[in-house]
Amino acid sequence: MLLGRDTYAKKWIIRPDGEEKVTGKLRYLTDLTAPGMLHGKVLRSRYPHAWILSIDTSKAIMTPGVRIVVTAEDVPGMNLFGIAFPHQPVFCHDRVRYIGDALAAVAADTEEIAEYALSLIEVVYEPLPVVDDPETALEAGAIKLHPDGNLLHRTSLKHGEAETAFEGCAHIVEETYFTPRQMHTYMETEGGLFVPEDDGRLTVYSPTQHGYKDRMQLSRILGMAEEQIRVVSSPIGGSFGGKDELNVQPFGALMALKTGSPIKMHNSRRESVISGIKRHPMRIKMKTGADHEGRLIAHQVSILADTGAYATLGCEVLNFATEHAIGPYNIPNVDVQGTSVYTNNGVSGEFRGFGGNQVIFSVESQIERLAEKLGMDSWELRKLNLRAPVDPGPMGQQIVQTEGANQVWSKVKESPLWAKRGKLKRGGESEEQQDQAERLQAEERDDKCEDQVPWIRRGVGAAMVMHGAGLGLGIPDHSGGRIELTPEGKIQASFGFEEFGQGLYAALTLMLQDFFGCTAEDIRIVIGDTDRVPSSGSSTASRATTMMWRALQQLKPPFVQALLQQASALAGLAAEELATGAGGIHRKGDESGMPVVTYAELAEAADAAAKPIIAHTEFDYPTTPEGLVGAHYLYSYASVIVEVEVNMLTGRVKVLQTDHVIAAGPVINPMGFLGQIEGGSVMALGYTLTEDAVMKESNYVRHNLDTYLVPTFKDSPHTIRVEAIEDLPEGDTFGPRGVGEIGSVGLAPAITAAVRQATGIWVNRLPISPESIVQSIDWLEGVEAID
Amino acid sequence: MINTTYVLECSINGKAVAVSVPASKRMSDILRDDLLLTGTKVSCEIGRCGACMILLDGKPVNSCLLMAYQAAGKEVTTIEGISAGEELHPVQQAMLEEGGLQCGYCTAGMVVTLTALWETNPTPTRAEAEEALCGNICRCTGYEGIFRAVEKCGLSMKREGQKPL
Repeated sequence: MLLGRDTYAKKWIIRPDGEEKVTGKLRYLTDLTAPGMLHGKVLRSRYPHAWILSIDTSKAIMTPGVRIVVTAEDVPGMNLFGIAFPHQPVFCHDRVRYIGDALAAVAADTEEIAEYALSLIEVVYEPLPVVDDPETALEAGAIKLHPDGNLLHRTSLKHGEAETAFEGCAHIVEETYFTPRQMHTYMETEGGLFVPEDDGRLTVYSPTQHGYKDRMQLSRILGMAEEQIRVVSSPIGGSFGGKDELNVQPFGALMALKTGSPIKMHNSRRESVISGIKRHPMRIKMKTGADHEGRLIAHQVSILADTGAYATLGCEVLNFATEHAIGPYNIPNVDVQGTSVYTNNGVSGEFRGFGGNQVIFSVESQIERLAEKLGMDSWELRKLNLRAPVDPGPMGQQIVQTEGANQVWSKVKESPLWAKRGKLKRGGESEEQQDQAERLQAEERDDKCEDQVPWIRRGVGAAMVMHGAGLGLGIPDHSGGRIELTPEGKIQASFGFEEFGQGLYAALTLMLQDFFGCTAEDIRIVIGDTDRVPSSGSSTASRATTMMWRALQQLKPPFVQALLQQASALAGLAAEELATGAGGIHRKGDESGMPVVTYAELAEAADAAAKPIIAHTEFDYPTTPEGLVGAHYLYSYASVIVEVEVNMLTGRVKVLQTDHVIAAGPVINPMGFLGQIEGGSVMALGYTLTEDAVMKESNYVRHNLDTYLVPTFKDSPHTIRVEAIEDLPEGDTFGPRGVGEIGSVGLAPAITAAVRQATGIWVNRLPISPESIVQSIDWLEGVEAID
Repeated sequence: MINTTYVLECSINGKAVAVSVPASKRMSDILRDDLLLTGTKVSCEIGRCGACMILLDGKPVNSCLLMAYQAAGKEVTTIEGISAGEELHPVQQAMLEEGGLQCGYCTAGMVVTLTALWETNPTPTRAEAEEALCGNICRCTGYEGIFRAVEKCGLSMKREGQKPL
């Protein structure tokens, strides 16, 4: 069903955290202040690669107003961090490997003094040659960035014999695709407040997607028990994967403990650009072959990922890319090889879509090219090769069956937008067909675009996504939750997940109402504070909604049983006659709407009996039974159709309309679901058309939003329509799947397919540069036309 | 360091204020650090993203580009001054109802710009709305929810016969 306030009226609720946001009352963690606080600043490297010969902080510490200057020597515990394996220095002392490397930090009475003091720290460097390209990084003579060399990780996925199978193919397409270093560009840059408490504990108020993981990492760095650290981690002004790794926390925490004063830190946009993680740029070679009928026979893939100076989640992103490089297709002979390489470039890490965006762009582009070679409609080609519900997953693993793939792809055929494509045929056709297409295209020029002129061309394209949810086998994917009746008589749910804009409060509110039949007023939600919530695992990988739903399924029976037993004793009615509802426990079949026992009365009785009503659960994210590292068990599916307009004079591509069809199980929070897909779509629009954190000799060229161009209002499509396919096979116990990522994955190949249709130009490099469009035009043809 | 203190006198959210600051201090910092009005956000610091948007004598301006002395004697309205007490501005209400926000970090600036638009042109065309809003970047919503809010508050105003403030 098309998502909107009318179609989902019942569940279209105002988000509980909305009013504070529209009035500006909400205090983000970077808005917090404390009496006597100091301002912290970090000295970053001058060079992307150098030996450090000396660091002299004596002048900085003498500056009036400077309270402390810290370097590697001051780190009491491990001077390293990293989600997957800790090897990124908190402070470098012998060598810097990228421009964001930290050497020292200062805390001072004002931000200005702290910044001034940074300029007084004298570092003597001996610059080293820069390794700025993943290919040269692997050459035999390349300078080693880490003791084991420049290779971070290799992956391999093989079925059949791809190499020999190409011999039997009627058509083969071979192409290399290039994808950009995309920046998360969350609006709130990294920062927070770090408070040393009177009892010796440390409270960290700093945005992160995984408070418990930050706590663990900080405990290692500070040489302090985890229980001595409290991490408050929500609300967050955007993250998209970018705040999952530690950023300013080690510096703020260390200086707070050393000075005994609260430390405030808040990165400038420039510092955020330099030190923050980015989406992995990848070079993906693909060779794909099909028989005369269009059956995919062989698929050979080589992925080269630039992971930058440190690993963070580089291995896991490559694993994901490797698994998804086949798309949702059945191909008997597959050979995927992945390589992730260290360079002196900015650190690449986790980003919405997690490596899927790069390979889906590539594999979907291959399908388009093959279809053209075959003289076949690309919809039909996909349909012919699409996986069936019973088929194993991309790694040959058992996966949870759904009809998703077929459902989302069938919807494309039914779409009016796709129907336009037939009328806009272009590229690889005879002149006569082209003329015919021109005429039809001219007819299409409706009032929506009054300024239609001959150098404006339109095209329609579509693409398909299969996206794994959860972290995949091999990474601990633990979750859990707690539910209790508070002394005030509220049903309180506590989870370790974070609210970074995705609408977790709203989703959980709706779920709780659904599970207990209660009202929003009966509910309390606690998240984002390690002192108050159980460990639920990270808010990543489209997993939070699924995990909350699963937790509630497990928590409901014991919790409701405890409530009803208590109510039964109070009301003198059998527990079987009772049910939870608005305001309290209701008698089944009673239409009055009045509870027989209120939650407040239950809480009072529980308190008097010293028998708190509470339930806990712990479990792991469901994984596939086979022991294949990286393999996913739950997948969601999406198709996307776009109409573009290409200005052949300026080379600019404008997306007019985007239709997304998403099969991810029941929609919990329609406003949130819609918003995630719309937002992911426009983020992917930036990825396709403008966004690239260009590096020259391992230095960032673009430091702010004047040159790094994310889509504005004017760039976003005129219409985004989102259709949700909610049904799951009978007996599916996994319920709703998360949709945080899937809307951002398939847009790029749909746009490039539409550009091909509009202009005849194949794009293999993102973002699509206007120059590449303009330079591809045969100007002589234009001159002749004028004559 | 040279201390160049200057007393900025202006009106902020209807209240006369006098605040002692360097003359070149940015308005966004005065609001956030000196007056603790943290509804105004700073994201790019170069007037590109609109998170710090305020009204200066009713016109939307990036407060990160506004120096203290430039606000002297003028009327400043921040997000904290948009709603009338507990009652939300129609723009705020529409943003809530249509999903015009997610993480909320751009929202204050967005609401300020939208309020200025609403007061001058409550029923804008899509193109007019795009032009008015293209100085505000939102990374979460894809702008669709915000456009729904624009339509909604225009329509609801027409329906209820409200007049611009």
